[in-house]
Amino acid sequence: MMPFGVIRNIEDYSKVINEILRYEISFNILKFSMASKGINILLDVPDDKIKAITQALKNNNVIVNKKGRIIIDDERCTDCGACISLCPTDALHLDETSRLNFSYEICIGCLLCLDSCPRNAIEEM
Amino acid sequence: MNKTYIEINQKIGEGNVNVLTAEEMINKVEREGIKVAASEVDIVTTGTFGPMCSSGAFLNFGHSDPPIKFEQLWLNDVNAYHGNAAVDCYIGATRMAEMKPFEYGGGDVIEDLVSGKSIRLKGTSYTTDCYPLEEIDTHFTINDLNQAILCNPRNAYQKYVCAVNSSDKTLYTYMGKLLPHFGNAHYAGSGCLNPICNDPDYETIGIGTRIFLGGGIGYVMGEGTQHNPLNGFGTLFVKGDLKQMNSKYLKGVNFEKYGSSLQVGLGVPIPILNDRIAKNTAIKDKDILTDIIDYGIPRRDRPSLGTISYKELKSGSIEFNGKNVKCSSLSSLYHARNIALELKKWINNGEFFLNPPAELLPRQTEYKAMRQSTAIRFVKDLKKKAIICYNDCDLKIVAKKIIEENINHVVITNKANQLEGIVTSFDVTKAIAHDKRELKEIVTRKVITTKDNEPINVASRKMKIHEISALPVINEQNVVTGIITSEELM
Repeated sequence: MMPFGVIRNIEDYSKVINEILRYEISFNILKFSMASKGINILLDVPDDKIKAITQALKNNNVIVNKKGRIIIDDERCTDCGACISLCPTDALHLDETSRLNFSYEICIGCLLCLDSCPRNAIEEM
Repeated sequence: MNKTYIEINQKIGEGNVNVLTAEEMINKVEREGIKVAASEVDIVTTGTFGPMCSSGAFLNFGHSDPPIKFEQLWLNDVNAYHGNAAVDCYIGATRMAEMKPFEYGGGDVIEDLVSGKSIRLKGTSYTTDCYPLEEIDTHFTINDLNQAILCNPRNAYQKYVCAVNSSDKTLYTYMGKLLPHFGNAHYAGSGCLNPICNDPDYETIGIGTRIFLGGGIGYVMGEGTQHNPLNGFGTLFVKGDLKQMNSKYLKGVNFEKYGSSLQVGLGVPIPILNDRIAKNTAIKDKDILTDIIDYGIPRRDRPSLGTISYKELKSGSIEFNGKNVKCSSLSSLYHARNIALELKKWINNGEFFLNPPAELLPRQTEYKAMRQSTAIRFVKDLKKKAIICYNDCDLKIVAKKIIEENINHVVITNKANQLEGIVTSFDVTKAIAHDKRELKEIVTRKVITTKDNEPINVASRKMKIHEISALPVINEQNVVTGIITSEELM
């Protein structure tokens, strides 16, 4: 199971990692990237610790998502929208400034978008 | 009120020029009317950002020691065209890397060059007395080059079609991933921000027009290839110094199962010389119409399923055939808008002046299809009689037919000759090996088929993709009218 978090800045990041370290478990950071809304981290957490760690993250105002199965690489994305028409739930959509936005909470993980991105900016989690 | 290029450039120099983007101009004209807008506004800026396959760059490396005259050369494993002098080349956006096709291509090389990354150059030569070096393998960056000139024969389509797919398979095209049964729709271009849409009569755009190209300064060299002004599909042939450009506006792209290309950012300033031009620059998305084209038909003249406006396209879903279809763009509206704003900023800062064209672009160019000296062949020209067994047929009879008729495929139908399946000689052999007695145990029910009016090459590609050696030919009623096998295609 992989919680997905959006963290505002690097201090938040340290705080969150320390919070998780409190549980004295080892975990892998699978992905760390800067995104338009902050920092995205993708953690590989043992199943029996998910509940505790999710709570710890939420206590730090971190958005934790277990549903979305994709991650958008904001540095590669050019906001073209080639993925949007493939998304059955509007999880991928343009915001009011015509930039690509991904709503993790409504992604159903169909992965239809995965091979639609000409910039190879969509990765499966 | 009429203005001249000289007057507008003077205003730019004095810092009191009035520039609006094409989107802002719509509001201005709506609020204050064409007359006021025409007299107050000096320039309208436009922008577009999308994949433009007809793009590439001329590079000059300078001479090696000993000198080499390239016969073949590769930039990061992407073959570049060499048919010019010794160390000139043209790297085309759609050429794919030889070891990593569909992942890296000419467009990526151009993006990497502009980003200042190191590029590997490999070249070979047949050698001459004046160019004795046989091979070279070296690295360079854009700063090491004498010239790096982006030179795109066809950019900035006035508008493009809206692509859908009627077939029962997902298609991977230059218009992106198209889901079967009209599952989605894709379009390209920025509508009311598109450069040529704002000057459809070519009153200002011509040879020498100074433009925004890839984040730097570029020029219109003339009409683009396939320029089709009579049907509203005008194009631009542009060039610019790659060394001044910004990788933010030149992005390599690789479309799944289609290949490489380059996303190009391009903006054209339209001088408001008179009321007519002012009116044209106030064009709205709802007034730019394009065709919905069925990419499920693998022919040049794909059927049009209706017309649609950019207003509807930009809304995210389109309605046709009584169905609501999700629709998105391959071009970034966000970047198109930013390009128009950036160009506006340059002009306002006195960094960008208008260049009057030496000659305006043609308005009457004819757009022709390819002349083919051999007639296109269809399935109906090559199909042969299908050997048919009914669905209740004994397996032994199927085997007998294969031997008697000396064939490899028996088509299985119902009593009305409607297709139900296919059996190959290998299926029968397998049946014996696995001790199966019934036809229904071995018949393939998901059959790939063709039709009379399908071009032979399309049918043969189907066989290649599905790794099969025959296609039953059916009509609209699913009745088998023949078969085409790999033998006929030899």
